[in-house]
Amino acid sequence: MTETNPAGFEIRDYLRLDLMPHFMCPGCGHGIALRALLWAVHELGIEKDELAIVSGIGCSGRVGGYIDANTYHVTHGRPLAFATGLKLARPDLKVIVITGDGDCLAIGGNHLIHACRRNLDLTCLMLNNEVYGMTGGQVSPTTAETRLTTTTPAGNTEPAFDACQLAEAAGAGLVGREVTMQTPALRNLIKQGLEYPGFSFLEVISDCTEIYGRKNDLGESAEMVLSQKSDMRPEAYGNVADQPFRPNRLLTGVLARNERPEYGETYRRHADGVANGGKAGA
Amino acid sequence: MTTDTASAEVGERQQPGAVADPRTRNVLIVGVGGQGVIMISKVLALLCQTQGMQVKQSEVHGMAKRGGVVFSHVRYGAQVWSPTIPMGEADVLIAMEWAEGVRWLPFLRPESGVFIADTQQVIPPFACRNRQFGADMAYATETPAEIIGRVSDGFALDAGRMAEELGNARAGNTILLGTLSATLDFPLDDWLSVLNQFVPKGTEEINRQAFLLGRDWVEKARQDPAGPAGLAPELAPPPIQPDIDVRLEITAEWCKSCDICVKLCPERCLELDEQQIVRLKDPDACTGCRICEWLCPDFAIAVHHDNLAEANA
Repeated sequence: MTETNPAGFEIRDYLRLDLMPHFMCPGCGHGIALRALLWAVHELGIEKDELAIVSGIGCSGRVGGYIDANTYHVTHGRPLAFATGLKLARPDLKVIVITGDGDCLAIGGNHLIHACRRNLDLTCLMLNNEVYGMTGGQVSPTTAETRLTTTTPAGNTEPAFDACQLAEAAGAGLVGREVTMQTPALRNLIKQGLEYPGFSFLEVISDCTEIYGRKNDLGESAEMVLSQKSDMRPEAYGNVADQPFRPNRLLTGVLARNERPEYGETYRRHADGVANGGKAGA
Repeated sequence: MTTDTASAEVGERQQPGAVADPRTRNVLIVGVGGQGVIMISKVLALLCQTQGMQVKQSEVHGMAKRGGVVFSHVRYGAQVWSPTIPMGEADVLIAMEWAEGVRWLPFLRPESGVFIADTQQVIPPFACRNRQFGADMAYATETPAEIIGRVSDGFALDAGRMAEELGNARAGNTILLGTLSATLDFPLDDWLSVLNQFVPKGTEEINRQAFLLGRDWVEKARQDPAGPAGLAPELAPPPIQPDIDVRLEITAEWCKSCDICVKLCPERCLELDEQQIVRLKDPDACTGCRICEWLCPDFAIAVHHDNLAEANA
């Protein structure tokens, strides 16, 4: 296990220490996701000045603020829109979007599908904790059926979104999913996303222990982390005909690749053509 | 686990004495999952059939997928009664994995048995049960030279590396089959034609080369036991474990008492103190596996592997 050695990775080097400890509840999975992200950034040797983090509203939106890099905390649901502008204006930056399930799929669902469609070189990290945690635990587009939230006191009746299928269908270049429990695997997935020259949509299964977990009696933090393990299935089994025993079929790893042209390059080529007196596409 | 027994008779029932050597010959092939033990035994069994002998083959391959033990008994001769080889009666023992070879040695005929072993090591998880940093492995410590000296006729070769140099690491079993062929009296052409029936399509040529490489290796080793081919290769040295001191750095003011580290520590060496802040309860039990560091959402634990050699230098 050579992977156990993080090769000099000290998370403190990447945090705004004056803001620590962070505001998240005890046992919140977002902190683990943040570690995996910074670990991936460290291993790829991305300089802090080259790194731009754009985050929306919600618990997930606050995650970006603890990173000692260029961070951008923007309006609800619009981090992908801001990041698109940022990446087109500054193609030299590595732009990472941190968003949540509500921010990305409900308020910003429109922006998500169009970001997938454009295939601009962004890495979108959707921290999915199945609930609007910051505002008190309302039902979100990824809340599983029958789950209790403050707005579904008798249990959620709506089916949940599979964000990865949505992103794949909308044309995202790379689609993946991982759980926070498998921190090194999550780091590897984020590394793949950061290295991918196109839009990579990564869903991170995170835990909301204090609000969602407590309301649904999912156990304490450690139990919730462990239950990710039993919900998870490696991608290798994805196409196996005999579906195994899991009621909650959760595929992890890289789930889809759409080999499509990267939008930033196309955009610049057309812009150059227009600047030289021609027409876009000429 | 599954036990398959195959027996075959070619043409009319062979009368005792029809084969030059009426004695039943026993070949035991051992290894771990995925190495090609069964393939070797199938080639040998079919070859014996084509030579007009009766063959019985019996194997265990249950845990093979997880690197578990695989063994196959092949018995052939004018008349074979039982499919399994009694202890101390194997004429040839082929081991595709070093420790397996050492483990099955009691099956070899003490006075005349031929021992052929790949020095490749596939270290099972059970050999690493002590999870302390730098702990010793419970893997076979016998060296090839030691074992070769103990058996009547022994060959130890690094077939895995030889196959890699040939261009396909998976041809290691064919190299061992080649070494086996040098110890049995069957015509070379028959070996090659039977081998061709069992190898995957497109790998016939590399398997032929591997087979001849193994066969030549034995010839060379027989001619010149002290030469480079005859010398038993040294086992790969165990990985050097740096002299490491594991140190846990706990940032108490960041800890939010979520209990994840305490409950998920494989050694159960953490606890929450009276202020509900994580504390290292049992420093000696900590192996420095970093699970607490990875799963702490608040970055309150950092695991340091201090290099003692560097610190003392």
